[in-house]
Amino acid sequence: MSDSFVFLTPAPLELPAGRVAADLEALRSGIALVQPEALFHHVTRIPVRFPHARDLPENDFARWVGDALQLPEISERLAFAGSVPSGSPEDLRATLLSVLDRVSLRDRKREAAEGASFHFVAVRTVLAPLGIEANEPADVIELWPWIDLGSAFYHLVEAPAFGIQEQALIPWLRDHGGKGLADSAEQVVGTGRPLAPLLREIGARWRRSQIGRRLIERSETPEAERRRESRAAMARLVGRLRGQGNDTR
Amino acid sequence: MKWTEIGARAAAGADAGAGAESPPQGGWLERYEHLVGSRTLHALEALARKLRGHRIVMVNTTKTGGGVAEILHRVVVILNELGIETSWEVMEGDDRFFGVTKKMHNALHGQGQPLTDEDRDIYRERTRREAERLALDGDLILIHDPQPAGLIEHRRRPGQRWVWRCHIDLSRRDETYWEFLRPWVDRYDASIFSHIEFVPSISIPAILVPPSIDPFAEKNRGMEEDEIASINERLGLEATSPWITQVSRFDRIKDPVGVIEAFRLVRARRPSHLILAGGGASDDPEGAEVLAEVREKAKGLRDVTILELPPQSDKEINAIQRASTVVLQKSLREGFALTVSEALWKRRAVVASAVGGIPLQVLDGRTGLLVRSIEGTAFQCVRLLDNPTLRRELGHEGHVHVRDNFLHTREVRDYLAVFAGVLEDAARG
Repeated sequence: MSDSFVFLTPAPLELPAGRVAADLEALRSGIALVQPEALFHHVTRIPVRFPHARDLPENDFARWVGDALQLPEISERLAFAGSVPSGSPEDLRATLLSVLDRVSLRDRKREAAEGASFHFVAVRTVLAPLGIEANEPADVIELWPWIDLGSAFYHLVEAPAFGIQEQALIPWLRDHGGKGLADSAEQVVGTGRPLAPLLREIGARWRRSQIGRRLIERSETPEAERRRESRAAMARLVGRLRGQGNDTR
Repeated sequence: MKWTEIGARAAAGADAGAGAESPPQGGWLERYEHLVGSRTLHALEALARKLRGHRIVMVNTTKTGGGVAEILHRVVVILNELGIETSWEVMEGDDRFFGVTKKMHNALHGQGQPLTDEDRDIYRERTRREAERLALDGDLILIHDPQPAGLIEHRRRPGQRWVWRCHIDLSRRDETYWEFLRPWVDRYDASIFSHIEFVPSISIPAILVPPSIDPFAEKNRGMEEDEIASINERLGLEATSPWITQVSRFDRIKDPVGVIEAFRLVRARRPSHLILAGGGASDDPEGAEVLAEVREKAKGLRDVTILELPPQSDKEINAIQRASTVVLQKSLREGFALTVSEALWKRRAVVASAVGGIPLQVLDGRTGLLVRSIEGTAFQCVRLLDNPTLRRELGHEGHVHVRDNFLHTREVRDYLAVFAGVLEDAARG
């Protein structure tokens, strides 16, 4: 079995889940019964659906309750429930249901206007190898700028949430001597910030963590090699300034 | 550490079949790279590698005019640049056939006209003849819209996978027409719809793929201030006060009369100018009737311009939207309403009704403002006229949202994923 980490890029296909809600009771029964992938789509995938938002929108349930049912208090509670890193989709389901179970009878009957019902969406994810593999944790730092947002989200959040351990990046880093990298990534992922800045933050933390090691390596490198590295670094910087390669989008 | 084919794109402009537009030097993907970033394109290339060796054939009924042809011009070339041999076949027909398909189109949109036995025969006969003529020799066939849907009956070969892409809103469909089409649709491996509310009861998988815009098209490309001013001057539009604009055909469901009522409330409080720009009145009796109502409603109102634009007015629409302070889409009912994405792409502050596909594009208070009434429309317009910072923030977030979700590269990714999914299903048996 290969010990390298193979990066995959996900292409989620959205399908009707076959459930429509026009009031909170129907929303509750939908949340109770839909597949975990649907819950994950409506709540946990928000950062990857709006990767460059200045601040993240509420999850789909909270937004619908606020916009269509005009129930701001319940919307706020659902938004908060969805923003807490909750582990598995089943934990998330339980948290959302507990919010809806506390809703008054009067609010439960509030109906959305015609054409404003909530449609549950199911998701099937098609995975493709990105053509990038890491053999050791330090490779991940080098490769990080080339990993697309969907791929990073998949390996940091989605695969662990669905128990696909062989595709979860943080456990792989730990198993391969990268505990520090794993811990800092885990800490940043837990903040629930918008995806693009979140991933930049992880990359920056990882690079900073390598400064000590690089200094030691560098002191042992011959002068000619150091000059060659400096020229390469300058070329990379110029490339970035021209908006190529290490893009921040 | 291993890298595979990063950035190794196929030669641009491989045989793209009928009518596909020539790519610019360096290819369309290179142009998109500056917008969406290299990582997004690497992911697209990775997905495309799953389909290497397969051949896609796209089929529709027109090379020019209409949103589907616009999309295909770009998408076919991009797929070829990604190394997937893709061709585009155009189903032909005579006036009788297109008369039937026009009726079909209208009926599936909810404007029913009787479907006669003769109509059915004309559709079947033309489908049979075109099935013999068209080069449907790929292994992945993507049929766009109802007109060519029947081809599957005559041309499906063993090993081929057929997907039906419905670009129209079937939520108010005439069941007679749908029942006529449905036996063919049920033979496909999968179907694609633009919005969840458009999906009818169907026996095959239905996948949701929102439409997308072309940022390089005449309607959306960047314009210098001079060009905008010169086009608007030619249209007789003067920038004496901030413009509130709605661009859409003169149709009751776009609520142009409601727009004028909302503007009357705005105008009483703030200096502003309403522009209602649209087409569809010259060749559509109902459009002409609505235009007359709109003119009547606007009679005596200062600062209202009603522009009846001819087809191919993309450049003019672009200039009008870019010069507008607020863009409205106050529809009573909508399909996907890509005009909203077009305005957001131009960083405009958008006020729009919470109907159809609009809430997917306008996230209330983040990428635009959603409204449900004439008073709400007026209130939000005044708010935006007074607040340039809010306009700028909404415009910025709207642009970013469209870049992430509603450009052609995202639609290409979805098509690749649909085919990859269909092939995975076939492999599983």
